[in-house]
Amino acid sequence: MRSSPELRPNFWDALVALAVVLLAAGCGFAVWGGQNGAAALTAVVSVDGVETERLVLADTGETERTVESNGYTLCLRLTETEVWVEEADCPTQDCVHTGHISRSGQSIVCLPARVIITLEGGQPVDNGVDIVVG
Amino acid sequence: MKRITAVLMAVLMITGLTACGEADPDKARESIQVIAMDTPMVFTAYGEKSTHAVYMAEDEARRLDALLSRTDENSVIYQLNHADGLGITVGEEVCGLIEAAEAYSQATGGAFDISIAPVVSAWGFTTDRYRVPDEAELAELLTHVGSEHITTAEDAAALDPGTQIDLGGIAKGYASDRVVAIFRENNVPRGKAELGGNILVMGDKPDGTPWRVGVQDPAKPDEEAYAAILTLEDAFIVTSGSYQRYFEENGKRYHHIIDPATGHPADSGLTSVTVVADSAEGNGTMCDALSTALFVMGEERALDFWRSGTYDFELVLVTEDGRVVVTDGLKDILTEVEESGYTYEIVS
Ligand SMILES: [Zn+2]
Repeated sequence: MRSSPELRPNFWDALVALAVVLLAAGCGFAVWGGQNGAAALTAVVSVDGVETERLVLADTGETERTVESNGYTLCLRLTETEVWVEEADCPTQDCVHTGHISRSGQSIVCLPARVIITLEGGQPVDNGVDIVVG
Repeated sequence: MKRITAVLMAVLMITGLTACGEADPDKARESIQVIAMDTPMVFTAYGEKSTHAVYMAEDEARRLDALLSRTDENSVIYQLNHADGLGITVGEEVCGLIEAAEAYSQATGGAFDISIAPVVSAWGFTTDRYRVPDEAELAELLTHVGSEHITTAEDAAALDPGTQIDLGGIAKGYASDRVVAIFRENNVPRGKAELGGNILVMGDKPDGTPWRVGVQDPAKPDEEAYAAILTLEDAFIVTSGSYQRYFEENGKRYHHIIDPATGHPADSGLTSVTVVADSAEGNGTMCDALSTALFVMGEERALDFWRSGTYDFELVLVTEDGRVVVTDGLKDILTEVEESGYTYEIVS
């Protein structure tokens, strides 16, 4: 009887098998990792349509930021869980009256200063609606 | 042979990995928030060209802001308002908008009127320096209000001396029409846009269900409280409400929706009017104009206008006496909000 060398796994077979395993793992990671990897709650500050700062709340801890734009000054306060405008010299004070925001998707807008502070990442707000009119 | 099979499998896995790594084009999502036309705007688009689409939408909003602003000295509208009665070239687009505004004015018996601008300014709503003008001042200003003071021809327009216009009542609606066109050009399968109180929803949500649109409860403007929830696909939704902008003087509240017939804030028994129409281009402008006009007209006249069938739209009216009045085209897609305390009426 003739022995069959083809049945004995050689180096190349091992390499191909390893590649298959790695690719499978990679594919699995791409599918599952993407969904579980929701970013941490992050405050994004934009001035006149341009993003100026991105602060991961958990990393930043309690801190203050002064945002100057369009002739107005906003004093921003951040903690590990929320963001608010403590003080502003804008005429409308809407940004101050918005109060504290703490959930992804919420934002504070100061029209006179053209400043928007938005929370991204973390758990999105689930209040039963996707969009509010009014 | 086995090795070849294994190599083939590896190739298949690579193909598979590439497919896994790239986001489903239908689910690729881009969302931006900007300030334009004196209001916060949010543009969200899905699809392969979602990023391009939302930035095009932003550019378009900024272009219209510069074109239609009443306060920017370089805008065509500013120049028209300060032309001392002379005709000037405003371009076909602006001319078309003025003519559209005129048509809504005619259809609503003057309840919508772009020439009310100087009266709105007299109340301080354009500058945030609020005041109550006296009757003589209002009477004088009202002599310059009305379609008869506006002339258009092809790409030119002229205003009688003393007349000024503000396209703010349809500009955001028109911008939302442009956004829907941009989204379609970029094959956006689904998306949404918020331009102040003007909403566009396109397609359905990624999970295949319709968008849930909360109609702000006018009684609780600073809370996440809704007078009703609408489930919609491919629609424009615009709300005009007295709670959106107002001031108080001597214990009396004055809101920003001025009745062109009186020069005073419309006292029509409504606290908000929401107009809903399908997302055909042009309907964004229509919803914007009609939400203002129907607020001024009040419940009875608004419903008569809806019944007349002049335009194709549906309504949610919130009244001062605690009712939510809904036209029957919305009855299957409207969810009542029990904790709001409103009573609901379907009309046909
Ligand atoms: Zn502010």
